[in-house]
Amino acid sequence: MEVFWKTIAQYNEGTWIAQIVITVVGILLTILLYQKPTLLVKRLMKGYMVFLNSWISIVYYMIYCGDRNYNYILAIFWGIIALIWLWDLITNYTPFERYHKYDKLTYILYAMPFLYPLLSWARGMEFPMMTTCVMPCSVAVFTIGLLLAFSRKVNLLVILFLCHWALIAFSKVYVYKIPEDLLLASATVPAIYLFFKNYFDQNLHKETKPSAKYTNWILIALCLAIGIFLSITIFHELAG
Amino acid sequence: MNSPNELKEITRFLLEYANRLMGSGVHTSRVIRNTRRIGKSLDVDVKMSLFQKTMVVSVCDIDSTEVYNEVAIIPAFPISFELNAELSALSWEAYDNHLPLDTLWEKYEKIIARPKMDPLCTLFLVGFANASFCALFGGDWTARLIVFSATLIGFYVKQIMQKKKINHYLVFIVSAFIASMVASSALTLETTAEIAIATSVLYLVPGVPLLNGVIDIVEGHVLTGCTRLIQALLLVLCISVGLSCTLMLIRNSLL
Amino acid sequence: MMLVDILTDGIFAAVAAIGFGAISDPPLRAFPSIALLAAIGHALRFCLMTYLGVDIATASLCASFSIGMGSLVLGKRIYCPMTVLYIPALLPMIPGMYAYKIVFSLIMFMQNLKVPELQEKYLIDLFTNSIITCSVIFMLAVGATIPLFLFIKRAFSMTRHEKK
Repeated sequence: MEVFWKTIAQYNEGTWIAQIVITVVGILLTILLYQKPTLLVKRLMKGYMVFLNSWISIVYYMIYCGDRNYNYILAIFWGIIALIWLWDLITNYTPFERYHKYDKLTYILYAMPFLYPLLSWARGMEFPMMTTCVMPCSVAVFTIGLLLAFSRKVNLLVILFLCHWALIAFSKVYVYKIPEDLLLASATVPAIYLFFKNYFDQNLHKETKPSAKYTNWILIALCLAIGIFLSITIFHELAG
Repeated sequence: MNSPNELKEITRFLLEYANRLMGSGVHTSRVIRNTRRIGKSLDVDVKMSLFQKTMVVSVCDIDSTEVYNEVAIIPAFPISFELNAELSALSWEAYDNHLPLDTLWEKYEKIIARPKMDPLCTLFLVGFANASFCALFGGDWTARLIVFSATLIGFYVKQIMQKKKINHYLVFIVSAFIASMVASSALTLETTAEIAIATSVLYLVPGVPLLNGVIDIVEGHVLTGCTRLIQALLLVLCISVGLSCTLMLIRNSLL
Repeated sequence: MMLVDILTDGIFAAVAAIGFGAISDPPLRAFPSIALLAAIGHALRFCLMTYLGVDIATASLCASFSIGMGSLVLGKRIYCPMTVLYIPALLPMIPGMYAYKIVFSLIMFMQNLKVPELQEKYLIDLFTNSIITCSVIFMLAVGATIPLFLFIKRAFSMTRHEKK
C-alpha cells in the first residue's frame, strides 16, 4: 500500500505537465467529435485512444510503477487494449455514430475523471499523492462514457476489457483503500447493461434461441447480482 | 419397388441427412442407425462406411436388389445437440408414418433452419460456467469474478475468430492465451491466482469430441473414435500452448 | 455443513453443465434435465471422493452410470436421445486440468534434458496425469453408455412418439 501511493506520487511529480496536455487534448477532441464528426476527427480520436492506452501501459505501468509487483501484467493488459484500438483505427470498425438515448449517464461518466481528483482532495490527500485525470481508472471511465455517447455500433471487446479492469479496480478497493475506484465500478454496471441491451435490441426482429425476452431477463439478473454485490461492498466500506 | 431415378433421389437425401448428423457431432452408431431406419421406411437397405472426412453409402433396393453407391465429403458443422435430437425424432417419424421423400425433405429443411443458441447468451452462460468451475476447484469469490470476465473476453475473441473462419488450432491457441493473460491479472490481487489462471482456459476443453470418441470406440467404431480422440487431443495441445505462452511471459516458469 | 458442501457442489456443477452445454447448442427443453443430471452426478462423485475416499476413476464411473440411468428416465419424457442429455451433464467432470498438465510436464521434461532429477520428477508427473486423464474420460463415457447396453430397446426409441 505504501508502495502504491509512492508510485502514484512519483508519476504525478514526473509527468504533471504531460498529464495536463493529454487532458486538454482529450477535451478538445471530444468537443470536436460532438460538433464536427468528420472522418478525420474520428480517426484522430481513435489515434488518441491508442496513444492514451499505450501511455498508461508504458509510462504509467512500465516506468513509474516499476516498484509494484507484477506491474508488467497490467502493462500487457493495457497494451492489448491499445492494440485493439489500433486495429479499430486500421479497419474503421467503430463508426462513432451519435446515440442520444443515454445522454444523462454519458455526462455523468464524462464528469467522473474530474471528480476523481476532487474526491481524493476531499479525502484530505494532497498533490502529488492523489489520483489525477490520466490514470487507468479515469481513462476507463472516459472510454466507457465516450462509447456510450456513440453506442450505435461499438467494439464489444473494448467494453469487455474495461469491465475486467473495473473488476480489478473494484477488488483493489479493499487492498489499497482507494474508495475512488468504487465510482468506476458503480458507473460500469448500468453501462454494461445498456451496451448489451442495445445489442439485443438490434437482434429483436430475428428469431433467436432462447427468445430475446428471456435473454434480456438473464441480462437484468446478471446486472442486479453485480449491483447487489457492489452495494454490499459500499455498505461495508461506509460501515468500516 | 423404386425406379433407378428414385433410388438416386433417396440416396441423395440419405447422404445429406447422414452428412449433417456426422458433421454436427453425433456418435457414429447413431448416425448409422438413424439413416438405416429412414432407409427402411423407404424400402431400401442402407449400408454405410464412415470415416472422419468422407462417407461411402450404398443403397440397395429390397425388391429389385439394385444398388446405388455414392461417396460424400463430410463438411464441418458446429456441434449441435438440437439437430441430433430433432433429426433422430425425424427418423422415427419417417419409420412410423412412412413419410414420402418430398415431405422428408421439407421437414429436414425446417429442422436445419432452426435458430442456433444466441451467441451473446452463450457467452454469458459460458462465463458463469467457467466461474463455477473455478468454485469447484476451490477458488475464492475474487478469483471466480476474475475467471468470469476472463472467460467472457476469451470466448468473445474465439467467437469473432470463428466467424472470420480462421484455422481452429490458431483460434484455440489465441483464445487460451488471451483468457489466461487476462486472468493472470489476478496475481496483482490477494486471491487464489493460481486456480484462476488454470481454470480460465477450461472452457476451451473439447469435452464433446472426447466423450464421443470413447463412446465410438466402446461401440465398435474404433477408427472414427480414434480420429475424434486425436483431434480433441490436438485441441488440448493448442490450449496448453496458449496457456504456457502466458506462463512463460508472466513467471518464466510453467508449473 | 456437509449437506451445504454437497449442495453447493451440485449447484456449481449444474451451472457449469448448462454453460458448457450451451456451446454445443442443445434443445431448450433439455436444459432443466441437463442441470439436474449434472448436479446429481457431480455431487455423487464429490461425496464418494471426499467422504468415502474412493479414487477419481471409480467415483467417475459411479457418477456417470447414475447420469446415464437418469438420462434414460428423463430423456423419454422430453423426446431427447440419451447422448443429448448425458454428454452435457458429463462435461463438468472432464478432467481438463489434468489433460493440459500432461503437455506441461512434457514441455518441462524437454527443457530439463540435462538435469536427471528434474527429468524423473516430470516423467512421473507425465505418467500420473496421463493415466488419470485417460482413465477418467474412459470411465465417464463407458459408465454413461452402460444403461444403453442394458436397456437397448428403450434407449434406441427415445425420440419415438407414441403411435396414436
